[in-house]
Amino acid sequence: MSKETDTGGPRAAALYESAKKIYPREIKGRFASLSKLATNVLLGLFYVVPWLMWDDRQAFLFDLPARKFYLLGLTLWPQDFIYLALLLMIAALSLFFFTALAGRLWCGFACPQTVWTEAFIWMEQITEGTRSQRMKLDKAPWSWNKLRRKGAKQFLWITFSLWTGFTFVGYFMPIRQLGLDIVALNVGGWTLFWGMFYGFATYGNAGYMREQVCKYMCPYARFQSAMFDKDTLIISYDEERGEPRGGRKRSVNRKKEGLGDCIDCQLCVQVCPTGIDIREGLQYECIACAACIDACDSIMDKMEYPRGLVRYTTEHALKGKTAHVLRPRMFVYGTAILLLAGALVASMVTRTPVILDVIRDRNTLYRELPGDIIENSYTIKVINQRNEARDFRLSVDGVAGLSLDGVDDVITVVGGDVLSLPVRARTQRDNAYGIMNITFAVTAVDDESVVMIEDSRFLGPTP
Amino acid sequence: MVSEEYRGARKWSRNKQAVATVIWISFLTAAVATMLFFAFIDPVELLATYDPGLEIGRQAGYAVGFFFFWFIAAGCSAVTAWLVRTAPKRDARR
Repeated sequence: MSKETDTGGPRAAALYESAKKIYPREIKGRFASLSKLATNVLLGLFYVVPWLMWDDRQAFLFDLPARKFYLLGLTLWPQDFIYLALLLMIAALSLFFFTALAGRLWCGFACPQTVWTEAFIWMEQITEGTRSQRMKLDKAPWSWNKLRRKGAKQFLWITFSLWTGFTFVGYFMPIRQLGLDIVALNVGGWTLFWGMFYGFATYGNAGYMREQVCKYMCPYARFQSAMFDKDTLIISYDEERGEPRGGRKRSVNRKKEGLGDCIDCQLCVQVCPTGIDIREGLQYECIACAACIDACDSIMDKMEYPRGLVRYTTEHALKGKTAHVLRPRMFVYGTAILLLAGALVASMVTRTPVILDVIRDRNTLYRELPGDIIENSYTIKVINQRNEARDFRLSVDGVAGLSLDGVDDVITVVGGDVLSLPVRARTQRDNAYGIMNITFAVTAVDDESVVMIEDSRFLGPTP
Repeated sequence: MVSEEYRGARKWSRNKQAVATVIWISFLTAAVATMLFFAFIDPVELLATYDPGLEIGRQAGYAVGFFFFWFIAAGCSAVTAWLVRTAPKRDARR
């Protein structure tokens, strides 16, 4: 790669000359309201959810220090990782499903990048004003007014980012306690670090990088077109109806003048947060926020032309063919989602609320005790996944005459806790030789159907 | 024309693109790797079997693990990006 192509060349120079910050113009309309609603609901959920309580603990807490996840009444352990895996698969397939159905709905309305950017742009608007005011302010030399407005914006941005970081950490440790710790200036180093880290990422991504993240850094933006087909709803400009474009007075009869419906007002370009011109066709920069639809509809209303020169439509519909919603692709994604969801529900319903872990003592193969007895040592872990204490019986099987020593007949495990027990299994020498497979079982005293079995080995002398 | 000021708005240089992409994608990879790894392995137990004398908290364990994965993934990504970008071109247009 020559230096020239990196930084120079006439074409590149032309590009960089026009390299300007994007000042998205504010717009009102159906999709703007929808996007505002989505932003408020999603951000509202993010900031409110950690404060919800369930009984006497946080309703949603991913307690990493304790390695337990609390979701409402449910407590999940690392052993329940399968649920998380299934959930992530369902989320990914849902993304495919909705992309095939209606394009980049995710990007336009639900992606954190979009949602936080919307919030940051809103703060920019209330401190620095409308699009033209912001452009003027940026060009103007530093003044008291500029300092005041920029300072207010930074104050809002930074406060909001810090609160975001705090909320993020509040999902991983009890947020009320965290709040008290912060007030008392008694926050752990790592906690502080992650809070600042997430806060700073929000500030940088939503305040400065914005559409660049979608354009240059987002993998989904690059591969989403693979989910598209000719029946996918996309935002398009109706070229047939719009061209030839051109300015005109409202009184002009466009048919007589040979003009299309597009008055070339550039509003669709000005409102675009990624700075593209939708009239040039579908582009990968388009995040489907639909701001251009609102913009164009408002102009069509003013001109008393029918709405929808820029609209949600499909490639088939634009070409005058019939559009199909129910297509093989939709059934494949839909069936896969339903199957996975079924598996998730089934595995949660049949989940045994006890987990047994058996670790054989690695230091000794076996021990010979007086009276011709062979002994093996194990560490047993019984995890009670219920929230209440429960009694269990531990048993072992697989070798004749095998019995347990060092363990009570009934063991009690506190709710949501792990009991670790050193246990010895013994049998007569005649019964033990070589490596033998055995099974440990833990059974709830109050319910015989609650049983968990775990395999292990019993070693004896080789003859 | 108004749209001229937008055309190709805020293009990142190729270097900036490469750096940002490497950092971001390795960050995502590290997040997934950390989740998978620590779902099955408790950092406290891992350290206890490795060196019983050494004691760090779980939080520190997770953080070290995360940055380790990030570092490895970023290194791999960076070298890949560099090799791809500096590879001899098949057609000598320049």
